[in-house]
Amino acid sequence: MSIKRRDFLKTGGALLAAGSLPLSLVEVAFGKNSPQNFTFAFISDSHITHIKGNEFVRNWDMGLKRAIAEANLMTPRPDFTIYGGDIAQLGTPEEIDHGLELLGALRGDVRYVMGEHDYYLDLGDYWRKQLGPDYYSFDHKGVHFVVLNSIVTYDEWTHQDWDTPMARMKEMARLDNPNGSPFMVGPTQREWLRKDLEKVDKDTPLVVISHSPLQKIYKGWNFWTDDAEEVQALLKPFRKVTVLYGHVHQIQYNQIGNISFHAAMATAWPWPYPSTYSQEASYMPKLTVEMNRADPFFERDATGWQFINMHSGNVDVHYTLPDNTNRVVAFNEDKGHPEDTKYQAEAEQIPPQEHY
Amino acid sequence: MLTRITKAVLCAGALTLAQPAAQAEEFTEADLKSWEEQFMTVVKRGEKLFHGGLESKNTVSCDQCHPNATNTHPETYPKFQQQLGKVAVLSEMINWCIENPLETEPLALDDPRMTALQAYITWERRGVELAPGKH
Amino acid sequence: MLQKLPTAGALSLALLCGPLPALGETPLGLPPVPIPADNPQTPAKIELGDRLFNDVRFSADGKVSCATCHDPSKAFTDNLPVSEGFKGLKGTRNAPTVINAAYMETQFWDGREPSLEAQSLQPPINPVEGGLENHDPILKTIRDDPQYVNAFREVFQVSPDEITMDHVAKAIASFERTQIAGDSPFDRYFFGGEEDAMTEAQIRGFQVFTGQGRCVSCHQVEQTQALFTDNRFHNIGVGFKNIKGRVAEIAEEFLKAKAEGADVDKTVLTDPDASELGRFAVSEDMTDIAAFKTPTLRNIELTAPYMHDGSQETLEDMVEFYNNGGRVNPDDPVSPFLSGGIRPLDLSEQQKEDLIAFMKALTSPSVAAATKSAANNAQ
Repeated sequence: MSIKRRDFLKTGGALLAAGSLPLSLVEVAFGKNSPQNFTFAFISDSHITHIKGNEFVRNWDMGLKRAIAEANLMTPRPDFTIYGGDIAQLGTPEEIDHGLELLGALRGDVRYVMGEHDYYLDLGDYWRKQLGPDYYSFDHKGVHFVVLNSIVTYDEWTHQDWDTPMARMKEMARLDNPNGSPFMVGPTQREWLRKDLEKVDKDTPLVVISHSPLQKIYKGWNFWTDDAEEVQALLKPFRKVTVLYGHVHQIQYNQIGNISFHAAMATAWPWPYPSTYSQEASYMPKLTVEMNRADPFFERDATGWQFINMHSGNVDVHYTLPDNTNRVVAFNEDKGHPEDTKYQAEAEQIPPQEHY
Repeated sequence: MLTRITKAVLCAGALTLAQPAAQAEEFTEADLKSWEEQFMTVVKRGEKLFHGGLESKNTVSCDQCHPNATNTHPETYPKFQQQLGKVAVLSEMINWCIENPLETEPLALDDPRMTALQAYITWERRGVELAPGKH
Repeated sequence: MLQKLPTAGALSLALLCGPLPALGETPLGLPPVPIPADNPQTPAKIELGDRLFNDVRFSADGKVSCATCHDPSKAFTDNLPVSEGFKGLKGTRNAPTVINAAYMETQFWDGREPSLEAQSLQPPINPVEGGLENHDPILKTIRDDPQYVNAFREVFQVSPDEITMDHVAKAIASFERTQIAGDSPFDRYFFGGEEDAMTEAQIRGFQVFTGQGRCVSCHQVEQTQALFTDNRFHNIGVGFKNIKGRVAEIAEEFLKAKAEGADVDKTVLTDPDASELGRFAVSEDMTDIAAFKTPTLRNIELTAPYMHDGSQETLEDMVEFYNNGGRVNPDDPVSPFLSGGIRPLDLSEQQKEDLIAFMKALTSPSVAAATKSAANNAQ
């Protein structure tokens, strides 16, 4: 363990660290532009819902407020926060503004991702007006971050003859809608991504963030991106790639070749695993040890947010789970994939993780 | 409908002992089709109620947490529900959800909407083995 | 329903003797008392524990015993907002009743001790309770007292030199495990099938309790027993306004002090800010910020004031507090760390009254009798 590493451990978060931050002890040598270690917060899927007047659904408000309050307790502070999409439920200015007002209490910068609930009312106009472009990249301490809008769909669906824009929004807002349409990144953004990555050294760790998973899990609920393989192909030449996504409201992780995948919890409400829908097949990554089933009395049970420890270009996801046991899914250097640091072995798993 | 089926079954049973000829109360393929259609109409009604049709006071709907009625586990009822402090039937738990996450008045247990919700929930879980009491 | 109703004779006997003795039957509405394998109940041990529990010599000023704050004539509480220790020093926490504490999976409001045995060791050496520097004076008092020496020899087969605090703790815990009380009107109504054991208002109140009041998820009732606790920790909003806007600094300061060796028991009882961290002080998990253990509601009519800091004086205040979603006033700020189980309830005045009536159906006749006779004697 290097001196530098120990320093980091020592200051690795008075709060979280208090015995709970099992940082990898392995320093991986990168090239001359070695990435530094740092942390960031990852909050997603708040689904702020306007009822009428000044009324918003309290339950969803409370979820976002809690995530923000907890993120603000972290010491040292996360370098920035990623917001993983679906700030709103029906994409209205009232919902987006209210969500952003709550997020204003968060210390530090926030990078936003577009979710389908933010998009299908006005095709993202108000969101972009408030937050800027919906796909972009940035560099931080030797890591290249890319944000994509992965929730666009085929023009024939988007531009069909809707009664109102809200009618379209409501169709897409229904997760299990048989009349929905699959998400995708689309050719424009894929071409942009190809060009963006041209400038990046293949040894530079990549973190790609989208709302829907850039892997195919279950089409019926859009736990799916139609052009996932095309995007994965663009990421393939890089030595270390992590894809982070929201949308699924549950713990998921996977490894496909060089790409590690991690999903975010929602701050609003949890979703069952697609495998629990007995009428259809789904493709849940085998690696994933599922999150606990929720007790709906405790409105925050099985909701949460993530604290991410970026070390040696790897991502360790610390799931912060109110009313529940926190989980850590960390990259295992030896095995070359993420794994739960406590529950990965079948013998360690607990009854609430058994979904049926 | 149920009365008629019961009667048909009972009569069929009784008749085997007596004479196999009388078929007056037997049901037909057409009956089966019709009854299934009747049932599916209620399932469709339930699906609508489940997806925002309950006009909940805070706009929250059942499907937001239970896409395709997953994690409702109709096959496990009756079972002990800590939120109710007793062994409860599915409709009691549906009402718990209506009163709590949806913040809306509960339905009468024989309200046609309650029947429709149960029809949809159990239809989405068809084929799954009964597991009363399971958690 | 599975519980056998005690006969009239057994009931009146229980009334005369106070809470059931050591090896007695389990009262209606409660499961058998969990007894640790390494501390079996014996009559002599219980008697010794009773004496230790009431011995005021185990404190710096010779005036404070366990019973000072857990007074048998006050349903094993002190009916004070927060307890007063030696020299009248005040801590930060309301004394919970010993009655039925044997069913708790952890002890203290923040569950910082796992057992009654471990719990009993802390108060004598807390600076605002017993005020002793360490346990040595207790052992000296015991070893110098021939009655204690004999009792410890009989119960634990030890010579005076061999008596340890472990023995003391075991005897006290054994005594505490006899303080069990069920058989309340609610128990007779719900488990005993006595339809008229509760009044109409109490029956309606039970509906509120399991329905719109959202009480039963934490204050658990089951088909065969009712502990009225889930043995878990929840932030219900009590004390939030005392630490609003300062949670980060208080938490950080506490963790720093703890890492440098500060004692949790002493810190939380002497530092009002640290006290408000609740279970977090023990678990260091953000989910537990300002979360406190769910207390039982049995005998609640006799154990006012309420909450970890005794901040709610009456049952009426407490119901109002819950009705406001964990706030004294409906426009007070809401803690972002509030449990997801707490939210405004929108109860009618009738429902509130019924709920309070129901809580008064949770009083065990044995406890009521002990409290009443003490009150009569005092007059």
